[in-house]
Amino acid sequence: MHHIANASLTDKVMSSGDSNPAATPTPCVDIQGDGRWMSLHNHFVSNSKDKEPDVLFVGDSLVQLLHQFEVWRELFSPLHALNFGVGGDETQHVLWRLSNGELAHISPKVVVLWVGTHNHGHTAEQICGGIMAIVQLIKDKLPKAYTLVLGVLPRGKMPNPLRERNAQVNKLVKDAVSSLPHASLLNVDPGFVHSDGSISHQDLYDFLHLTPQGYQAVCQPLHAHLKGLLEKQAEN
Amino acid sequence: MQNIGAVQHPCARKYSGYIDKNYPSSEAFRMSGDEMNPAAVAQAVEDIQGDDRWMSQHTRFVQECKDAEPEVLFIGDSMVQLMQQYEIWRELFSPLHALNFGIGGDTTCNVLWRLQNGELDNIGPKVTVVWVGTNNHEHSAEQVAGGILAIAQLLTSRLPKTKVVVLGLLARGEWPNPLREKNVAVNSFLRSWLPRLGHTQFLDVGAGFVHSDETISTRDMFDFLHLTAAGYRAISKPLIDLLLQILEGTPEEKRASLV
Repeated sequence: MHHIANASLTDKVMSSGDSNPAATPTPCVDIQGDGRWMSLHNHFVSNSKDKEPDVLFVGDSLVQLLHQFEVWRELFSPLHALNFGVGGDETQHVLWRLSNGELAHISPKVVVLWVGTHNHGHTAEQICGGIMAIVQLIKDKLPKAYTLVLGVLPRGKMPNPLRERNAQVNKLVKDAVSSLPHASLLNVDPGFVHSDGSISHQDLYDFLHLTPQGYQAVCQPLHAHLKGLLEKQAEN
Repeated sequence: MQNIGAVQHPCARKYSGYIDKNYPSSEAFRMSGDEMNPAAVAQAVEDIQGDDRWMSQHTRFVQECKDAEPEVLFIGDSMVQLMQQYEIWRELFSPLHALNFGIGGDTTCNVLWRLQNGELDNIGPKVTVVWVGTNNHEHSAEQVAGGILAIAQLLTSRLPKTKVVVLGLLARGEWPNPLREKNVAVNSFLRSWLPRLGHTQFLDVGAGFVHSDETISTRDMFDFLHLTAAGYRAISKPLIDLLLQILEGTPEEKRASLV
């Protein structure tokens, strides 16, 4: 159960009578007709059977695309990292995947969780509840692992409600993990929003997804932070 | 509502080089019956999510048309858009003075809208590469092919000096599935229709992606749809060969003057 000392907002969201759709494990329904989501999930489960990653990255397209660029080979392969990112995934999809085999065969020391931006139709509170449900699930399945939640990035060319929602998610999650010894939130936004409120396509090529340049700016500090965490895990 | 110029009488059959949004221009390309092909109707993407990204991307492309003088224009969906994020773009396509107007998720309808609303203004590329259709989930293979045809017709009428290269739709999904069959059918229609349109050709870049056990590998398509760096490298070979052939074949004196 929760290790949160005082009743937090997330407690209320997660344990209240009304269920939180963002925190209810839900597989993706194959609307398009080529079964790609389930194929990827099955791949992740079988891939993990003969791997011994120290780090597991899990989340949505921001995680998935990271695996395609040089920065992954430069910074994260050396840390023995696996990538279980699926484009379009919302918190409830990640929750389902991790509950259905993706953690069954591995014991990473650190899980890097990056999800939430695609939870359209959910409130910031619900998205936070979804993220915290994943944090709790990881704790249940991998008692020794540390979960590093990455802050959801700003999006859209100019200020818009989704930027506000994402900032609120980050604030709520940061509060929720503050009392947890096994998890923390890392803000990985290096300052993508300029003084005029705009985001550049050089950093987020479609004002949502990172360019290789954008990934470098996010991943250098992330890599440093991860190395520190791994060293601390090694000491324990 | 955007101005699409002179609209032909619905009964006109003669090919005039202009697109009536209800009918492909030529008799040979008419859909069965006289119904409108929904895949050939220009349509903007509605901002449902709330951050207006599609319009922001379109606006940026329109602005790029004011500043750039591309020799090659790529237009389409995420297959086009993602290409620019890999090294291969800088290696092979930037040197050709190529512009990339891909937007993830786009259907033929969305590309048509963008082309009719500024993304062809002030530019005179020698080659336009079109890659779209895999996201047209609401439409039949014949409709999708008709939508791609309408794009090719629009390009040849708006940019009389351009050569249009239409890329075939790739296979998708880890295992055989209805979308693979649909994309094969689209390509089949395009193979027979496009040669009848002047200045347009079809290029199939999908060879080798489906293995003998009928699977697609994540080494080529990381999510069984989008290409990896290796996947793009594979399709770039035939593509760059064709582009160079077309570009080197264009006599200097026929170069369009742009201003």
